[in-house]
Amino acid sequence: MTPHPYPAGGTLSRRSLLKIIAAVGGVSALGISAGCATPTGLPGPGTLNLALNRSLVSLDNKLNQFDAAVTVQRAVRQALTRLTPDLKLDMVLAERFELTQPNAWTVRLREGIRYSDNSPVEIADIATALEMYRDTKGGFLATFFPEWPTVVKIDDRTFRFETKAPLPILDYLMANILITPAKDNKPEELQGGVGSGPYVVTQADRGTGNYLLDASPNYWGAKPNLSRVQVRFLPEESTRVVSLRSGEVDVIDSISPDAVEQLRGLPGVTIETRPGTRLTHLFYNFRKPKDHPLSDPKVREALSYAINGSALIDDILQGSVVQATGVVPPDVAGAAKVGAFSYDPDKAKSMLSTLGVRDLDMRIIWESGEFASDTQVLEAVYEMLRAVGVRPALQQFQPGGDISTWRQGKAGDWDLLANGYGSPTGLAVTMMQGMYAGTEEKEKTRDTYHGYIFPAITRQIVAASSETDDARRTVLLEKVQRDIWETWPAMWAFAPKAVVARRNRVGGLNLGANNSYDITAVRLEA
Amino acid sequence: MTRYLVKRLGQSLLAIFLTVSTVFVLVRLAPGDPAKAYAGPFATTEQLDEVRRQFGLDRPLLEQYWVFLKGLVHGDLGTSFSFQAPAINVVMDRLPYTLTLAVSAILVTTVVAVPLGVWMARRADTRRELGANVATIAGQSMPEFWTGTVLLTIFAVLIPVLPASSFATWGGLVLPTITIAIMQIALISRLLRREMVTNFAAPYLTVARSRGVRESLLTWRYAMRNASVPVVTALGTRFAAMLNGVVVVEVVFAWPGVGSLVVRALETRDYPLIVATVLITSVLAVLVQLLVDLCYPLLDPRVRLGKAAA
Repeated sequence: MTPHPYPAGGTLSRRSLLKIIAAVGGVSALGISAGCATPTGLPGPGTLNLALNRSLVSLDNKLNQFDAAVTVQRAVRQALTRLTPDLKLDMVLAERFELTQPNAWTVRLREGIRYSDNSPVEIADIATALEMYRDTKGGFLATFFPEWPTVVKIDDRTFRFETKAPLPILDYLMANILITPAKDNKPEELQGGVGSGPYVVTQADRGTGNYLLDASPNYWGAKPNLSRVQVRFLPEESTRVVSLRSGEVDVIDSISPDAVEQLRGLPGVTIETRPGTRLTHLFYNFRKPKDHPLSDPKVREALSYAINGSALIDDILQGSVVQATGVVPPDVAGAAKVGAFSYDPDKAKSMLSTLGVRDLDMRIIWESGEFASDTQVLEAVYEMLRAVGVRPALQQFQPGGDISTWRQGKAGDWDLLANGYGSPTGLAVTMMQGMYAGTEEKEKTRDTYHGYIFPAITRQIVAASSETDDARRTVLLEKVQRDIWETWPAMWAFAPKAVVARRNRVGGLNLGANNSYDITAVRLEA
Repeated sequence: MTRYLVKRLGQSLLAIFLTVSTVFVLVRLAPGDPAKAYAGPFATTEQLDEVRRQFGLDRPLLEQYWVFLKGLVHGDLGTSFSFQAPAINVVMDRLPYTLTLAVSAILVTTVVAVPLGVWMARRADTRRELGANVATIAGQSMPEFWTGTVLLTIFAVLIPVLPASSFATWGGLVLPTITIAIMQIALISRLLRREMVTNFAAPYLTVARSRGVRESLLTWRYAMRNASVPVVTALGTRFAAMLNGVVVVEVVFAWPGVGSLVVRALETRDYPLIVATVLITSVLAVLVQLLVDLCYPLLDPRVRLGKAAA
């Protein structure tokens, strides 16, 4: 090395540099120690700290019902009914909810129910809530309500829901209508206002997605175990995982199979899973011309034998999903086990050969992040299809991009779409209405589910939807699910499990199939 | 000076206007539909049309632009589709977080990088400097997502002394600041070292030394002053860039700044929010650059604002 022309000797000797760095370090350490007055941001002993993967934005659900939001929304606002963890119906603001005539339900409100501002819950609030959900532009519930019931008051606590046609699932549908004082309700996602739930919002920062909930002193029901719940928005899964591991948050949701593996077995952390209410499937494009091979159900069936579902579930999805045994998730109310996907590539090749299908080109499209490990799953599907002589091509779309236009067949042709369909009602019939009850009328605006139109099936779904006798409805539902299966709408399908990870100090968390839980039952242990 | 300021402000306003207008058009030409992001994947065509009407997206582009310009004059950048609140308010809610992080990072960078750069320059090409050289090259090479993840794992999980995410306590500022500062320290100290070494070798310093000027004065008054202009420019540029949001760091640490906000706005095609973010961060960036320009005559008396070099 060449000696420097001006050797050290000025003020900035190594000692001086070390002094400066030591001073900076000292100041930083002081800052850190001052900043860490509550050392690592760890939640206090009486505060439950939740991290969600989606920002709540509001505590209303008129536009969308994201799974992650249900737990917190229901802690502040309540509905007449709610879904239990195993998708049964439970009464909340309603004391009684009975089908008293084919076209009418009689509801009696609980005595003494009131909002957090101590004002009573009134029948007018329910009528207004229905109107506001109906009038919200782009509201998610519109597709589930074949018609909006009218409210007829009988006495101060009793009223009737009346419809023109029978609506036997109204009690389930009403679990999604959150009740707000009529004077404050609007046909839009409410950003503030009061609810009748066990908690009130004491701090809200929609910008960051952080909310602080405190137990409502005016709550009409049993006092919740926890006095305070802190809700944070941590969009990145790795950050949620690190925050849970460090004890900074108590519960995280929406965890990929990889993260579950990472967390499983860690001291102080428990994974809760439950069969979910979402169906993810590789759905065929039903807008193909009649002479296209994919218009033949036998070809669709043959292709499904190419898919090794067990390998996908065990090796890529790491057991985080269950293979579908029908046309809706196996655990939603009214689901029937009507079929099974089986792996038999020889049979696939033989059937395709018999049907005269050779070198079939297939374009598979999906939106990035539509389900866990999506890319790996579809790359494996690509190889499986190639193995039976199909020539697949994969096309992935970024979230927020153009996939919706493609899905409607407005942007280009495709053959298979990997996507999911949820059931916020927990009912098989509402999923079937959304996916399999297509009509020519709906198809004019491309509002059918990927062109799936089978008039006989649509008629059966409509009949089942309006059947008031439970036993008869069950029979109808099973029959129509069997008929749908026979059309081979999907090459393969699975239901992702609902998963949350919690610190062991969190007790009483009973995870529901819709990925939510009753926060009033949650407790913190020392 | 006044004339220079007026001219610069005029140029800045034009630059901001052109930037915002370009973004206004480009986001609308990009693939994706905010109505679909807003109403969900299974909204009917009728519902989507209604949402588009509500957002004014059914109008011709020129008309949308005219409405936007009218709003801009009144400080109204429209309502965020996803937050259903004035877009400018949503950005202003996040701005303090970004400012805090940017100021903190630039302070740490300056305090560490300047002495380090000078020290390296005084010992350029010696064995002692080799270690610092390797460290700064490593700091420059490590991507922030990796540095952030390593720091998180060490200080939030293995030795849990600092929060892993967000800004619940002041301690939450430490890891994001260090993550950003590591790369910036490496960049600035190496830049300063290079400038100082050039100045140490310049004839004017030899003359000064021969006249018996003390080494401390040679370093800090002579060489440092001459080397400071590019360093201040670099610090200003880095700071302005940070004000646009340190996206990767904000995502890794769930920092609620404008960087993560703009990512979300882009994902949901929230046009008003994208434009509002660009506008506010552009204004800040331009102001920082203007301040940097105004510092030049203070650092180097030979610089005369608005006048070409002789």
